[in-house]
Amino acid sequence: MSVGIMNSARLSHRLGWLAPLVWLVLLLFACLGMEELEGLFRLVEPDSQAVIYERADFLVLLGRHLLVVGVAALLAILLGVGAAVAVTRPGGRDFLPLVGQLASIGQTFPPVAVLALAVPVLGFGTLPIIVALLLYGLLPIVRNTLAGLEGIDPGVAEAARGMGMTGGQRLRQVELPLAAPVILAGIRTSVTINIATAAIGATVGASNLGDPIISGIVNGNTAYVLQGALLIGLLALCVDSLFARLQPVASS
Amino acid sequence: MRREAIRPNSALVSLLLATLVVWLGLDTVSVSPNRIVPGQGVDVLGVAGWGGVAASIAPILIVLGLAWRPTPVRLRWATGLVVLMLSALPVWLVVAAALTVDPDMPQARMGIGGGVWVALFLLLLALIELRTRLALSRVLGWALLLVPLASLAACLALGLEPLALRQEYQGRSAAFVSAIGEHLMLVGVAVSLSLMLGIGLAMAMRHWPRAQRMGFAILNFLQTIPSLALFGLLLAPLAWLSGRFEWLAALGVSGIGWAPALLALVGYSLLPMVRNTYVALDGVDPDVIDAARGMGMSRGQVFRQVRLPLALPVILEGIRITTVQAIGLTAVAALIGAGGLGTFIFQGLGQAAMDLVLLGALPILVMALVADALLGALTDLLRPGGAT
Repeated sequence: MSVGIMNSARLSHRLGWLAPLVWLVLLLFACLGMEELEGLFRLVEPDSQAVIYERADFLVLLGRHLLVVGVAALLAILLGVGAAVAVTRPGGRDFLPLVGQLASIGQTFPPVAVLALAVPVLGFGTLPIIVALLLYGLLPIVRNTLAGLEGIDPGVAEAARGMGMTGGQRLRQVELPLAAPVILAGIRTSVTINIATAAIGATVGASNLGDPIISGIVNGNTAYVLQGALLIGLLALCVDSLFARLQPVASS
Repeated sequence: MRREAIRPNSALVSLLLATLVVWLGLDTVSVSPNRIVPGQGVDVLGVAGWGGVAASIAPILIVLGLAWRPTPVRLRWATGLVVLMLSALPVWLVVAAALTVDPDMPQARMGIGGGVWVALFLLLLALIELRTRLALSRVLGWALLLVPLASLAACLALGLEPLALRQEYQGRSAAFVSAIGEHLMLVGVAVSLSLMLGIGLAMAMRHWPRAQRMGFAILNFLQTIPSLALFGLLLAPLAWLSGRFEWLAALGVSGIGWAPALLALVGYSLLPMVRNTYVALDGVDPDVIDAARGMGMSRGQVFRQVRLPLALPVILEGIRITTVQAIGLTAVAALIGAGGLGTFIFQGLGQAAMDLVLLGALPILVMALVADALLGALTDLLRPGGAT
């Protein structure tokens, strides 16, 4: 199924840490040196007074963006992996079909709709965005953790049991390491979607890298839009290439 | 086996206990004198008194009892009761509207409270759980939902004038219908375009394996860029192009509107489409192809009559993923003036009018779920061996 992902994983393995590093350096340069590009943006927007977004420092916006996505991702990983592990243990088996179905149906929900529905319940600001991202980010993680744990050869689990391993040992030393590539792929999907969704969160009062884009669209200033889009794009590529580096190449 | 059968169904028990707690604990409706003032929450007791509380929690308690000793017969009864409770939710809104909204205040409106939304969600989960346990078919599962939908339609037709969601709709029913049209149009055109492009690209990649790695790398790259950023990045080049070439401007191409939206949608749709088409075409058993060639079929015949039909279920899976994704992304496209249901979401967020947000978000959600279910059913049907 994942021809493309595998190829890019192989490619990035050969490049080592180079790809994430290059994107990171570009991202920081763009954050700090946006003023240097003023001439370029002036070409796009010759009539506007200001061509560089100045309502907030780009580095601060980047920090807020990372904070929101990071906190949501961390909680989603803890809760998602935890839930998937819980429903695959003997005590939680009753919940397995429901959680599995919920994780696959939930992925049909568009992220924007989830974000929009979170606002009436939770209000405007940063917290609702974190909650919405957390809820939405859970689904791919739960789904992949379940797939990873369920996909383990029953013979392997049996052998571990035969060696006298306790339930906890089997989980830590056998099941989780074997499922790790699939779990990591789920986390990657979750974080990629959340970086994009967090930007849309700028419309509901969170201040992050989506701000310049929204402000640019509202005021008809294409230069602002370009600055925001450039930074979010670089951030997404940086994080994605980092995951591509971490993800072990699936053995075919 | 028998001991197993009479253990309580803990998933169902937890869902119903949670339903009980939120139903009694959260506000079921909120009432406000007009659109601007924030609503005042009213809980079950406030709406219908102790009698209402007793009547509304009775079915929950009965299902709890049935789930405690879940024989198949009892689970069937429980399914009936859950469907009944889902159908009763709109009726509850009618009752609440009659009892809490002052008929002398034409501006007064009633919002749906957290209690009803969460109860709806939990009961739907209970229905999914029951469907799985009873191994009911997918079609029957959907048919069960028709009863609550019919109830909702009846309630909307008979009453519910004060419902805020309905008032938002009535204020802009024409805009709503055309927004749905725009939304479906953008999704439809984007998916069809990317289907044609995707099949072409996948075939080209099979032909030139060298292009394959490069192609997938580019498509992966596109998929990584956040939607808002991609829409934004397309603004400037398209504005420049339309300023430069008059015939493009005459076509309606400009920096904002449908053109950048469509381009971005096709860009995002290509990866799942090409990946599935490639895997599908590649996965056809070579022996089957050999046999077809042996029967004297030409290359074109083999492709049209053997390879493509066999690959169809996996290609359809790609169309399903793409369509669901495009329905969500089109909502974001409203930010760059492409129209569609996202317009209501962002208008509502701007005016802090939450019912307007719902008016945009709920149909998008329904559309995504329906597209997913329909295309999923079609895939099952076309899979060799028929429906499962």
